[in-house]
Amino acid sequence: RPRPDVTLPPGTHLLFAQSGRVEHVPLDGYDMKKNDAKPVLHLPGKVIIGVAFDCVEKMIYWTEITSPSISKASVDGGEPTAVIRSDLESPEGIAIDHLSRTMFWTDSMRDRIEVASLDGSQRRVLVDNDLVNPRAIIADPENGNLYWADWNRDAPKIETSYMDGSNRRVLVKDNLGLPNGLTYDYRSSLLCWADAGTHKLECVNPGRGDRSTVLEGIRYPFGITTVGKNIFYTDWQRDSVVGVDRYTGEESDEFHPQKRTRPYGITTAYAQCLSGQNYCSVN
Amino acid sequence: NALIGTPDDCQPCPCPDRSSCAQIAQTGQVVCTNCPAGQTGIHCQMCDDGYYGDPLGTSGTARPCVRCNCNGNVDFNSVGTCDHATGRCLKCLGHTEGEHCQHCQRGYYGNALNQTASQKCKPCSCSTAGTSGHANECHPQTGNCHCLSHVTGRDCSHCEVGFFNLQPGLGCERCKCNPIGSLS
Repeated sequence: RPRPDVTLPPGTHLLFAQSGRVEHVPLDGYDMKKNDAKPVLHLPGKVIIGVAFDCVEKMIYWTEITSPSISKASVDGGEPTAVIRSDLESPEGIAIDHLSRTMFWTDSMRDRIEVASLDGSQRRVLVDNDLVNPRAIIADPENGNLYWADWNRDAPKIETSYMDGSNRRVLVKDNLGLPNGLTYDYRSSLLCWADAGTHKLECVNPGRGDRSTVLEGIRYPFGITTVGKNIFYTDWQRDSVVGVDRYTGEESDEFHPQKRTRPYGITTAYAQCLSGQNYCSVN
Repeated sequence: NALIGTPDDCQPCPCPDRSSCAQIAQTGQVVCTNCPAGQTGIHCQMCDDGYYGDPLGTSGTARPCVRCNCNGNVDFNSVGTCDHATGRCLKCLGHTEGEHCQHCQRGYYGNALNQTASQKCKPCSCSTAGTSGHANECHPQTGNCHCLSHVTGRDCSHCEVGFFNLQPGLGCERCKCNPIGSLS
């Protein structure tokens, strides 16, 4: 398999949620600069689950379950602003389409997938049937696809549709346990997931359907994100962020935050949007 | 603020176990940044997701943060399973409900605390013909439905001995057998 030797744009970092905080970890190449990790958001008493980053306006969007809401704040600090406050019960996964300026989220109690503009307007239900425990959601705006995972213990599955909810299909349903996290890598066109039931990191090419295992024997993954050749996931048993080389299948890095509590969603924040310049310049 | 130059410039963090804190520049508010395990909040006064209690006793007696107790009726892969202060379970499964998912929901009967799924909360499914109430009204433990006269069975699905012809809304009729020619 080819090993794309890409240089990450400077200023790439990870954002992950833990105990009412969103932590910022700068990346140096593919390594986490652990000593430079710092909270960018501190909302004491809140439980932040999903985290997404809008590369255009440099804003963090997150879901929160104690007073169920979706909010945003600048990655450079600043006051959080609620964008969606009503008709939510357990909003968990959140994804952003930076091209069309929309966001998508799952609600595991209302069993829905919804969409709205980034300011909260034009809200609409995209999927409201055959969902039991929808959690992770990922948008691939380049190709117009949406992916989500449902960890329903009786029938876990990973599904896809166009970004308007049409052409819904099941991508993966066999040999799944608790697929908590999903991520999509534009360069390799691979959709990867972290499964806390099978304890595996796996990937599938959504177009071809071929599936491959990156790593087995992981502990309890929750969130997952891709950065070039690496995958980073949060783990509920290790209370840490773990880095894995997708091509060698080896654990390459681990960040243990000082706080010993479960980390939730994780996302990659690039200094520039990947589409256009970055996407093409590496080829 | 160490820059003022008085002996009281640096004060201990108002946080448990000498954990660290930070002062927010704009407001001057002091926020604990590394609360002990299970605790969160500005002064670590609340419990983390999956725990409940009142560790600093802000509303009464102090109660340490302990894991949510939902009698095994919530999924450990869920988030937000109980209220961080009261411990009330928010995501009961298997047709259970209550503060700690300790009861069966209305319309179900059995033992919510039984760890075998098939023994847990089963639907009342009362016979529509033999029940005086609703098909989903039964005794929460035994599952006995409210039967019409001379109707029997947990779900009121058949007639008592000596009765026949179960009619919806009416019940069963007495057998009018001639005592001389009958075996029973």
